[in-house]
Amino acid sequence: MSDDVQPGAARTAILRAVRAARPAPVARPDVGAAVRRFAERRDGAPDDSALLAQFVAAARAGGSAVVEGTRADVPRLVAAAVPVARRVVSQVAGVVGLVPMPDMPHGLADAELFVCEAVFGVAENGAVWLPLSRLGERAAVFIAAHVAVVLDRRAIVSDMHAAYVRTDVAAEPFGAFFAGPSKTADIEQSLVVGAHGPKEFTVVLVGDG
Amino acid sequence: MTASTSERAARTVGAVGRVALFVPCFVDQFYPRVAIAALTVLERLGFAVDVPESAVCCGQPAANAGFARAGDAALGALASAYARADRVVVLSGSCAAHVRAHAAGRVAGRAVEFAAFLHDDIGVDAVAALGARLPRRVGLHIGCHGLRGLGLARPTELQVPPFNKLRALLETVRGVEFADLARPDECCGFGGTFAVAQPALSAKIGRDRLRDYTASGADVVVSTDMSCMMHLGGLAHRAGVSLPMVHLAEVIAGDS
Amino acid sequence: MPVATPTRRAALPVVDAHAPNGAPVDHAAAAARFTADEPRTDWHDGALWFVREKRDRQAASLPEWEQLRELASQIKEHTLSHLDEYLIRFEERATANGIRVHWARDATEHNRVVHGILTAAGSRRLVKSKSMLTEECRLNSYLAERDIDVIDSDLGERIVQLRGEPPSHIVLPAIHLKKEEVGETFHTHLGTERGLADPQALTAAARAHLREHLLAGDAALTGVNFAVAETGGFVVCTNEGNADLAAALAPVHIASMGIEKLIPRAEDLGVFTRLLTRSATGQPVTVYTSHFHGPRRGQEMHLVLVDNGRSVQLGREGFWRSLKCIRCAACINTCPVYRRSGGHSYGSTIPGPIGSVLTPGMDLKRYGALPFASTLCGSCAAVCPVKIDLDAQLYRWRQLVADAGHAGVSKAAAMKTTGWLLARPRLFRAAGAFGRLALRVLPARARRLAAGPWGRARDLPPAPAQSFHAWYAARERAGGAAGRGEGPGA
Repeated sequence: MSDDVQPGAARTAILRAVRAARPAPVARPDVGAAVRRFAERRDGAPDDSALLAQFVAAARAGGSAVVEGTRADVPRLVAAAVPVARRVVSQVAGVVGLVPMPDMPHGLADAELFVCEAVFGVAENGAVWLPLSRLGERAAVFIAAHVAVVLDRRAIVSDMHAAYVRTDVAAEPFGAFFAGPSKTADIEQSLVVGAHGPKEFTVVLVGDG
Repeated sequence: MTASTSERAARTVGAVGRVALFVPCFVDQFYPRVAIAALTVLERLGFAVDVPESAVCCGQPAANAGFARAGDAALGALASAYARADRVVVLSGSCAAHVRAHAAGRVAGRAVEFAAFLHDDIGVDAVAALGARLPRRVGLHIGCHGLRGLGLARPTELQVPPFNKLRALLETVRGVEFADLARPDECCGFGGTFAVAQPALSAKIGRDRLRDYTASGADVVVSTDMSCMMHLGGLAHRAGVSLPMVHLAEVIAGDS
Repeated sequence: MPVATPTRRAALPVVDAHAPNGAPVDHAAAAARFTADEPRTDWHDGALWFVREKRDRQAASLPEWEQLRELASQIKEHTLSHLDEYLIRFEERATANGIRVHWARDATEHNRVVHGILTAAGSRRLVKSKSMLTEECRLNSYLAERDIDVIDSDLGERIVQLRGEPPSHIVLPAIHLKKEEVGETFHTHLGTERGLADPQALTAAARAHLREHLLAGDAALTGVNFAVAETGGFVVCTNEGNADLAAALAPVHIASMGIEKLIPRAEDLGVFTRLLTRSATGQPVTVYTSHFHGPRRGQEMHLVLVDNGRSVQLGREGFWRSLKCIRCAACINTCPVYRRSGGHSYGSTIPGPIGSVLTPGMDLKRYGALPFASTLCGSCAAVCPVKIDLDAQLYRWRQLVADAGHAGVSKAAAMKTTGWLLARPRLFRAAGAFGRLALRVLPARARRLAAGPWGRARDLPPAPAQSFHAWYAARERAGGAAGRGEGPGA
C-alpha cells in the first residue's frame, strides 16, 4: 500500500531504532490494586441509590436530559422527550421507528431521532456505554438530531475503572461512551451545544426501583 | 530573646547553635537591609551566625541561561566557602532550590531556605516569641522555585492538603491580615535572565501580578525572594504604584 | 506509484508556518508583538486561565487525583521502556481485527502512505478530524499539492484552516481568535451575514457547512488518543463528534498516530480517560470516547504508526519522559508565558512547555529559543497528568542549546564573564560598588539606559551606599554581633 521501496523497511527501521533507544525497564504498575485502594479511600462502595443520584447529576451537568419510568413507559417517555420527531430510527423494542436502518449510513442524514439501549452508565461522568450491537449502525448515534438512550437504573458503575472491568471494549469492532449532546467551545470558549452530532441527548432510566 | 527559644535552637541545630548565612549577590548589592534583618532574626533566635566573605552567587543566572558550567564555578566557590558549615541558611528560595538541585554531595544537603529553616528547624512558636508586629494587609509572594522546588507551600495545581510555611510564619506576627489573591501562586515573570531576554513579556506578567496585589487590597507584599520583589518593585515604581515589597526577615525583625 | 501532477491550486491558502529549515524562531520578538496589544493579551490570558480553573475544580473532585497521575506516569514509562514489544503486539492484534497497519519513519513517509491509501481507494475528499500529528507532518499542504481536498472538520481547526493559519493550541485551535474575527472569516468563506458574531449562530453555520462535507467525504482521517496493545484497537476522544461521524460515514478510515500513544491494556484506559479531559478542558469526560476495533462493514480501516523523531527522543536520557505526553494541553493552559504570548509565537506545531521540550530535538538551531520561552516556574510539571518533568527538561535543553552555540553570541559572552566574575568575590564586590555608585549619581534617564532591557519597563531598586558584606565587615571590625550599627540605608 505504501510507497516503500522495500516493503517493511519502515517497520524494520522503526523497531530497530526503538529497541536501541529503550530506556531501562520500568515495571508495570498494578492498576487493579491501585484502583481498589481508591475505593477504600472513599469508605467503601457507594450503594445503588447513591450511584444513581451521582449518575443523574453528572449526566445533567453534561447537558443530557434524564427522565425516569418503567420499561412499559419507554415509548411514551421517548415521545414526550422529543415530541415532534417523525423520522425516528429505533433499536428499541416497543419504540416504533418509521425509518428502517438503511444499507448505507448516509441514508440516516436527516434522521430526527435515534433510540437505542445502553449497556450501563458511569456515575462519575454521566456517560453511557453503547457498543455497535446496540447501535446497529455507527453513524446513527452521531448523525441524528436527537438521541434517546434507554438505561436500566441498576446498571450504573461508579467510575471509568469499573466501566472497563464491566465491559470488554474489544468484544465488538466499535463502541463508545456517550456523555450528552455534541458540544464545542471553539469560539471564544462559549459553550455551544450541537456542534456536529445530536443537539439533544435524553437518558430514559427504567427499572422497577 | 527568651531562654526557651535559645534552648530550642540549640537542640535543633546543634549544641553550639551556629549557622552560616548565604546572602546572594543581588541581595548583597541591592538589599543589604534584608540580609541585616535575616542576620538579626537568626541572632535573636540564639544563633552564632557565620557569613563567609568568599561566596557571592550560586551560579543560577548562568545555569538557567544554558551555561551551567560557567555557573558551576560560582557554585563551587560557594560550596568551598561553606564546606565546614552544618547548616547554610540561604536568603532566597530560588538560590536555595538551585543549590539543593545542583550541588549534590557538596553543600546541597546542608542548604536550607530562610523561611523553611524558621518553619521546619526552629518552629513557629519560637518565631512567635520574637514578638514581631505588622498591622498591615499582607499579600504573600512565594517565588516559584521556593514554592514548587522547595515545597514552601502547596501549589494550587496539586491536590494535596493545603499548607503554607510563609503564611504560617506570618500568622505569628501580630496585626497581620492576609489579602486574598485571584491567582495565589501565579508566576511574577521575573525568571532570572528571562527578565532581560524577554523584557516585554516579563514586564507584562509582572504587571498582572502587581494588579492582583493592588486589587486584593494588599498594602504590603511579603516574600521569601527578593529577586521577584526587585522585579515587581521595579514595575510598581515605574507605574507610580506605592506598594512596599519586603522580605519575611524584615517583618520578623520588626524593621519593615 | 506516480505522483499526480497538480492540476489546480489548492482552494484555500496554505500557509506553512512551520516549514523545515526556516529561520530560527524568535519567540521574544513574537511575544513582544503579542503583548503590545495589552487588552487582547489580557483577554487571551483570561480565556486560558478560565480553562485552568475548570481543570482545578475537576482535579479537586477526585480524592485519588495525585495517585492517578502517578499511575498514569508509571504506565507510560513502562510502555515506553518496552515500546518495541508493545508495537509488535499491537500490530498483530490490530491486523487480526481487520485494521491495516502501516509504518512511517518520518513526515514525508507518513504523507506518502496516506496519499497512497487515498489513491488506491480513489478518494479525493478527505475529511480530517483533529490530529496534531498531521499538522506536524504538514499533511494538508502535501495532499493539496496532489489535488486532494482536505476538510478539517473540528470547528476550531476549520476556522484556522479557512484563515490559512496553523492552530495556536492543540486542544483549542482557535483560542487566539475573537468571535468577530470568526464571523468575518465565515462571512468570507461560508457566506454568513456580515457582522455575525454570535458563537451559537456561527456554530450553526459551521455545522451546516461541515455536515455537507462530512456526507460528501470519501475518506476520513482521525488522530488517536490511545492505542491498546492487548486489544489491537484505538480510542478517539472528541466533544463535537466530528471524528466519529466522519469515520462512520466514509468508506475509508485512516487513523494516524505517533508510536508513543500506545498503552498496554484496556484497563489502563480507566486511568487515562479519567485524567485526560479533566486536565484538558475541565470536563469529567469528553462527550464521545470512541473505541475502534475494526472497520465498518464494507469499510477499509488503516492505521499509520509514525516515528518522525520519536525514537530519537526515546534515546535521549534527559528527555524520553516527554513521550509520556497525552496531549491534554494542561501545561499550555497554565503557562504564564503561553497565556501572554499566544501559540503562534512558538513557531512550532505544538506550543507551550511540552512543545518546547519536544521540538528542539527536531531542529536545535531553528527551535533553540523555545526552551528559553519560560520562566521555569514549574506550574507545567505540577499540572501535568502524567508527571512529565517539563521545567527540568527545559533547563536541560537550555544547556544543549548553549553548548551548540545557538544561545546568541552576546548572551554567551555575558554569561561567561558573569560566571567568571561571580566565582571571584573580591572582583565582583568591586564591580558591584562601581555599579551602585553609577546608579546613585546618574540621572533617572541615564539609569534606565544603564539598566538595559531591564529598564524598559522597570526601575532598578535604589542603590544603597554600602553592600551587606561591606556593612558586615565593618561590624566585625567594630566587635561583631553586639555592635550592630546603623544600616547602610538607601
